[in-house]
Amino acid sequence: MKVVPRCGENAVTAPDPSLYARIERAVARGLAQTSAPDEAYAIALAAIGVTLGWTFGAVWEEDESRDVLTAVQTWRRDPTAAEALAAMTPQLALPRGTGLPGQVWGSGQPAWIHDVPDDGRYPRAKAMAESGVHVALCFPIRSNRGIVGAIEFFTEEWQEPDERLLECMDSLGSQIGQFVERRRSEAAVRHSEARMRAMLATALDCVVIIDREGRVLEFNAAAERTFGYTAEEAAGREMGELIVPPSLRERHRRGLARYLKTEQPRVLDRRVEITGMRADGSEFPVELTITRIDVDDGPLFTGYLRDITDRKQAEAELRASRTRIVEAADTERRRIERDLHDGAQQLLLGLALDLRLARNSVGDDGKVSSLLDEALEDLAEATKELRELARGIHPAVLTDHGLTAAFAMLVGRAAIPVTVREVPAERFDPSVEATAYFVAAEALTNVARYAEAEGAVLEARRAGNRLVVTVSDDGRGGAAPGSGSGLRGLEDRVAALGGDLSVHSPAGAGTTVTARIPCASS
Amino acid sequence: MSVLIVDDHARFRARARRLLEAEGYDVIGEAGDGASGLAAAAALEPDVVLLDVHLPDGDGFELAGSFAAGVGPPIVVLTSSLEVEDVASLIPGSAARGFVPKDQLSGQALAAVLA
Repeated sequence: MKVVPRCGENAVTAPDPSLYARIERAVARGLAQTSAPDEAYAIALAAIGVTLGWTFGAVWEEDESRDVLTAVQTWRRDPTAAEALAAMTPQLALPRGTGLPGQVWGSGQPAWIHDVPDDGRYPRAKAMAESGVHVALCFPIRSNRGIVGAIEFFTEEWQEPDERLLECMDSLGSQIGQFVERRRSEAAVRHSEARMRAMLATALDCVVIIDREGRVLEFNAAAERTFGYTAEEAAGREMGELIVPPSLRERHRRGLARYLKTEQPRVLDRRVEITGMRADGSEFPVELTITRIDVDDGPLFTGYLRDITDRKQAEAELRASRTRIVEAADTERRRIERDLHDGAQQLLLGLALDLRLARNSVGDDGKVSSLLDEALEDLAEATKELRELARGIHPAVLTDHGLTAAFAMLVGRAAIPVTVREVPAERFDPSVEATAYFVAAEALTNVARYAEAEGAVLEARRAGNRLVVTVSDDGRGGAAPGSGSGLRGLEDRVAALGGDLSVHSPAGAGTTVTARIPCASS
Repeated sequence: MSVLIVDDHARFRARARRLLEAEGYDVIGEAGDGASGLAAAAALEPDVVLLDVHLPDGDGFELAGSFAAGVGPPIVVLTSSLEVEDVASLIPGSAARGFVPKDQLSGQALAAVLA
């Protein structure tokens, strides 16, 4: 190393050969003490600056959005050193090629300069002069992404370029760059992990992650609250044994095994309703969605579970309330029918008998007898209308004799030939019978009106705990789902009892109306 | 021919009695329900029981059997405010001879069933 003394300047001694090793050690020791990426720059600057005994240093990092370098960290030998440089450096934004750091950033090569020319390429030439520094060195910061910045140092000493020192600095630039990048990506992973943890912890749904053996890997706070296990208790346990009731456990295990063997999912990615079990053994309804996560050592499964006890209860209450409304309406209709029967109908019938008696006693005298004949005719009409009204409200035959007699009555009154294939002899709940009757009556009315059928078949049979009423015809079919608005109304009635009503009507192949009504014999 | 009228509507019983008597029938009794009707039938031994299908204590189609099972059994004729189409399926299985809708009741209609 050559020393170039300048007149009037301090003499400069040759660097100690062990200097490079001491710098590397100082940097390595410094970095070992921190995990914070931003502290690493300050530590590296101080370690190098102090060991070299130089005056001022700065770390420049690229600002990708503006494509310039800005100083993110500076160091001074003492609080009054290089005043002008220290003041100006943090305010600069250097494009590629401008200033010493900009040149190093652009070329990727370390640089060493003496007294910089004041020609505009070096924005800080004047500040350097004012600060009394004459020599600067600068080296790139390299990371896996390439050159991401530069580190510079200034000294008041007149030092000749030191190739070994530059080489040493160049290698330190890579170490520092990689150290910072590694720490930053670790911090990013930690932040991301913390966000995921927070998300899991605050999720309202239970989130349970299991491995391919069904063992619990994750058990979030909602799962802890819902099932009554802590995450620590749950971890590593087999999920089936933890939250699946004993009666369903085998099925759960077989399902997982079958899926792993065949890769044919049955419950993946859709909502299913199952029964869950709490730590105290109590069971409750759960809505579950399972998704698959593929990781390096095989698939994991995430279960999202939600306690739907409240919803189930609300649904049950709603169903019960709808059923009660239908039943109350039926009771009321039966009462009205009975009132008509016992009141107005009896009055009219008595009147008919009196009038007939009067008519018979006056003989055919012309005026009075024809008056009475007219009155008898009108009375017959009124009786008929009242009877139809009463039957439409609620047929007395159904109340007294059940579906068999009521269906026979429908057949007797139908405008087309109707065959009754089967009707259970047992009696059902009044609302079930009324619903079955009105479905059959409405369907037969529609057959006569629209189907152009030769005949129809009426059938009611018990299938488990459902009464299934079917009316099918051999007519033209093609009934639009919305047609026969009377049936639409009955659909609500059937649904209120927890059943369903369907219309199957392919063009040219007849129409079949089917109502499935939950029932119990009464 | 003697007739017992069994019906829970007093108004109808009175009108039916008047009409049938005017047409030559001998209405020997009235009853408002099945039990008193059966008692009256046993006591009065009518030729015909005009029996309403809907009684407070029972169903006329079934009660017809009880009347017909008595001593020197009467002929049971059912009546109702319903039309014959409404109950047609129930008549063959009962012990009644026939059915006359209430608004059609007359000596003639009764005779037609008894014939």
